[in-house]
Amino acid sequence: MARTAIGCEPLVGSLTPSKKREYRVTNKLQEGKRPLYAVVFNFIDSRYFNVFATVGGNRVTVYQCLEGGVIAALQSYVDEDKEESFYTVSWACNVDGIPFLVAGGINGIIRVIDVSNEKLHKSFVGHGDSINEIRTQPLKPSLVVSASKDESVRLWNVQTGICILIFAGAGGHRNEVLSVDFHPSDIYRIASCGMDNTVKIWSMKEFWTYVEKSFTWTDLPSKFPTKYVQFPVFIASVHSNYVDCNRWLGDFILSKSVDNEIVLWEPKMKEQSPGEGTADILQKYPVPECDIWFIKFSCDFHYNAAAIGNREGKIFVWELQSSPPVLIARLICFSLHVKYNPQSVY
Amino acid sequence: MVSRASDSSSKSRQSNDGLGNLTYKLNQLKKQVQAERVVSVKDKIEKNRKKIENDISQLLSTTSRKSVIFAMDNGFGNMPLCKYSGFPQGLGDRDYVNSHEVVLSTSSKLSHVQKIPPYTTWIFLDKNQRMAEDQSVVGRRRIYYDQHGSEALVCSDSEEDIIEPEEEKHEFSDGEDRILWTVFEEHGLGEEVINAVSQFIGIATSEVQDRYSTLKEKYDGKNLKEFEDAGHERGIALEKSLSAALDSFDNLFCRRCLLFDCRLHGCSQTLINPSEKQPYWSEYEDDRKPCSNHCYLQAFSLSLSLSAIITNTEGTLLHCNAEVPGAHSDIMAGERCNSKRVLPVTSEAVDSSEVAIGNENTDTSMQSLGKRKALELNDSVKVFDEIEESLNKKQKKLLPLDVLTASSDGIPRPDTKSGHHVGAINDNELQMTSKNTIKKSVSAKVVSHNNIEHNIMDGAKDVNKEPEMKQSFSKGELPEGVLCSSEWKPIEKELYLKGVEIFGRNSCLIARNLLSGLKTCMEVSTYMRDSSSSMPHKSVAPSSFLEETVKVDTDYAEQEMPARPRLLRRRGRARKLKYSWKSAGHPSIWKRIADGKNQSCKQYTPCGCQSMCGKQCPCLHNGTCCEKYCGCSKSCKNRFRGCHCAKSQCRSRQCPCFAAGRECDPDVCRNCWVSCGDGSLGEPPKRGDGQCGNMRLLLRQQQRILLAKSDVAGWGAFLKNSVSKNDYLGEYTGELISHREADKRGKIYDRANSSFLFDLNDQYVLDAYRKGDKLKFANHSSNPNCFAKVMLVAGDHRVGIFAKEHIEASEELFYDYRYGPDQAPAWARKPEGSKREDSSVSQGRAKKHQSH
Repeated sequence: MARTAIGCEPLVGSLTPSKKREYRVTNKLQEGKRPLYAVVFNFIDSRYFNVFATVGGNRVTVYQCLEGGVIAALQSYVDEDKEESFYTVSWACNVDGIPFLVAGGINGIIRVIDVSNEKLHKSFVGHGDSINEIRTQPLKPSLVVSASKDESVRLWNVQTGICILIFAGAGGHRNEVLSVDFHPSDIYRIASCGMDNTVKIWSMKEFWTYVEKSFTWTDLPSKFPTKYVQFPVFIASVHSNYVDCNRWLGDFILSKSVDNEIVLWEPKMKEQSPGEGTADILQKYPVPECDIWFIKFSCDFHYNAAAIGNREGKIFVWELQSSPPVLIARLICFSLHVKYNPQSVY
Repeated sequence: MVSRASDSSSKSRQSNDGLGNLTYKLNQLKKQVQAERVVSVKDKIEKNRKKIENDISQLLSTTSRKSVIFAMDNGFGNMPLCKYSGFPQGLGDRDYVNSHEVVLSTSSKLSHVQKIPPYTTWIFLDKNQRMAEDQSVVGRRRIYYDQHGSEALVCSDSEEDIIEPEEEKHEFSDGEDRILWTVFEEHGLGEEVINAVSQFIGIATSEVQDRYSTLKEKYDGKNLKEFEDAGHERGIALEKSLSAALDSFDNLFCRRCLLFDCRLHGCSQTLINPSEKQPYWSEYEDDRKPCSNHCYLQAFSLSLSLSAIITNTEGTLLHCNAEVPGAHSDIMAGERCNSKRVLPVTSEAVDSSEVAIGNENTDTSMQSLGKRKALELNDSVKVFDEIEESLNKKQKKLLPLDVLTASSDGIPRPDTKSGHHVGAINDNELQMTSKNTIKKSVSAKVVSHNNIEHNIMDGAKDVNKEPEMKQSFSKGELPEGVLCSSEWKPIEKELYLKGVEIFGRNSCLIARNLLSGLKTCMEVSTYMRDSSSSMPHKSVAPSSFLEETVKVDTDYAEQEMPARPRLLRRRGRARKLKYSWKSAGHPSIWKRIADGKNQSCKQYTPCGCQSMCGKQCPCLHNGTCCEKYCGCSKSCKNRFRGCHCAKSQCRSRQCPCFAAGRECDPDVCRNCWVSCGDGSLGEPPKRGDGQCGNMRLLLRQQQRILLAKSDVAGWGAFLKNSVSKNDYLGEYTGELISHREADKRGKIYDRANSSFLFDLNDQYVLDAYRKGDKLKFANHSSNPNCFAKVMLVAGDHRVGIFAKEHIEASEELFYDYRYGPDQAPAWARKPEGSKREDSSVSQGRAKKHQSH
């Protein structure tokens, strides 16, 4: 690793828990024997802030948190293909606010489920390989992005079923894309990272007309003039190994590799030359025993805290926006595969 | 001596003291910088926190607004499937958690959807591209994730492959800059100080020193920089030389593809200047229409008008051709007629030729263009005699009219002004079609000729008078033009010389095309005369005189033009290949090869030889032919001369182009042409008989290829319409990568069991993995219906896919990847001898193996 220059040192958080907040297990559920790869609360519709969905194997399940730690299973969906293994799920909705669940996995087919009617809304075929992550644009929840093993990130309109943009090509990822995230306020901006060890920031500002066009498209989705976005606005080499998760924290980016830590850094772009720039590493949030890949972290709605599991089944909850970082809690969980998200705490 | 010794000792003592001090100081500074860093990070986080707060409130409003509107309508109206009781706060044991098994009685089915074969996202290329440097995998650690072992493997390169990372220049942070600056400002640039600082920061002393000097420049030279900036903003730098001004053009423009930023041949190509100059546009040289108010032709309007009249009168009077050139809407056409017709007249009118000859011989100082005019002038004089007689009557009738117009000008120099006038009439007249008007104007002109006649006759008889007259015109009318000639900037001079190269000595075209806004035609003309009079004269026949002077001019230009500065050429991104071809060892990477090629082709790079190529010619050395992009002359012995095949004979090995694995080139081959019209203008028709059949890649005469799930494995390429044997289907495009790069990529591709490498020539391999076209999905078969062939098209090797047999519409396309026998993966090996006989087509078509 390159030495850090004087005056550019990151602030590293201490692993002593502050005990600011107590976390308790309120309930424990187990869905068969298959691992659950994702659990996600609904952040896009305040009516359903207490609803969450899980995916594991070929199953998608919707739960609701009730008073007193009671959890109700609301709905369950099973893919007819037994080989399907969902890796990721995200909440979305159409322009009328009808909630959708968008799930994807090893088959590379994105399933859009209309949960208010309990039926499959659409299936998006197009990705050339498995889908590693799906995220929803919080300001326009009909838009989702998907990160795939086929080295591309794609922007979809879940309502019309249109693939609007493909972020790949000359400046694109050179290996599987593992994670992708929408900027919380800059609607044009996304960040993606993957097995080529880079984090790339993309802008779809110049392509926004196509996004708008996708809402009014009445012809077959396959006839939509899908555009390639070949050049990101910023490429960061913050890590020297797979980057398996990245999230925006305001204008900064949280990302992690297999180096037992989450890194918060600021992308410093050069105005004149797109694609170039430097990353200023501001803070580090250590996570011991977290040196295998495909461990993701997630943040709560207010970006106050991030939770991440590790190899030993421990969960670390970091206060994100304090400087230096403060560890809120270290939780021990005996079941390795069930990932708890402290998102229920708000 | 004594003082000096004491001086040095005191100095060393001082520095020794200083050194301890220095370390302390350095640490102090470091702490300070780090403390400030902590504060700055906190500030940033705090600022960001406020922004996030703002974002969150925005998000909250978007999420909650929805709930207000739709709270009643949508939602999970149904009863939950089941409920799982939790642990009320404080009751549950931390260590023991009772687990509920989720048992769901009902679940909705997600209906089956057909999966598509796996692929990596790729970009369509309609022509090959050279790999961009940042796409290289050479020297990069590549971690490969093994699907089955679930283990991350480092695709380690063998030792020789690991390139020592180049000693990267240390990027100085602001903090380091500050430490450096403060310390050096306080302690001076002593050796100990530098050593201490370099140790402290952990970099070489030289770098510390360099950085200090840059910092010094930065801090001290702030004013200087501003001054420089101001200088830069002054728009086009006319002070620069032409080659400097053209630097970016030379770097970015591809002279082979005729476009900027060529992805195939790259930037910063070696400039090849052809040894043979193109002939300039001599036919435009006697353009009669003045290009502007400042045209030198204004000075020659007398002669011009005369010749114009001849053209017209000639038509009406001599009936040489039935059609009167009065119908000229096109001035150029009229001109050509003019020069053609004048000539026979000259031969007819022998008596006046004496005058012309006299003129020719003596008028050497006159510039060549003027000379031509003068010649025409003489001709016109001859014809004029004839015209005069026949038009005598009309002339008299119309005389008053002309006098009127002439007098309306009211200028004391009637001869020149009427000349102007006639020029103007002449212009108008050219566009007129009615015979009457022609007659009128012709006669009108004849009248005006009477006025000028004297001048002309004088000019013809007394040779010296003509140039004098011209000079007086230019001086009288545009005195500033003469003055300006002394202010020619270097770039303007160079542009002028280029103009002479391109257009010949035609000041109109030079001024309009190269010096627009900088110099007027008149100025160019004056400059031209000045520069040519300063050159040695050769008395030659008028026909060759023009050529001669241009030659002298170009010689002169070559002498004058400084050799292109090397530094300039280096600028821009140099994309030169560092890799030299290794004949040995491309172990077991699967690369497709074209049919009929056991030896790889040689990459062509244009040579810059002047005239003939000798032994040192790089083309000869590489074993390639010289092509049209080489600098050598057309008669170079190493040139590929193209074919002389008669109609559509370029489809067999009888055609030398075809036999050499090349496409015909309309620039080189005699009977192979390209046409874009429909034949209505007399050009050859676009397609059909006589069209060369060996330019199909060049002309992109390809078939529609469809992409669909293969009948064999993965994706497949299919044909939309049926084709016959040897038809061209399309090109296999991709990224051009070096063999070394291909070896590295191949290792990764072979692991994934899907490779799109295609051996192109001794320098390049085509990689269609991320960039290519649909034909990359055509599967392998040992009994295929297509074949791939590398063709040399305009100096570039390209891969064409051709039909091996008649293929029906919507059939899948296969070709033999021709992997080397020991390299081929199991699915591409040829069937065993015994099996070969009974292997039907479908069995023979081996599977394209896919890893998933």
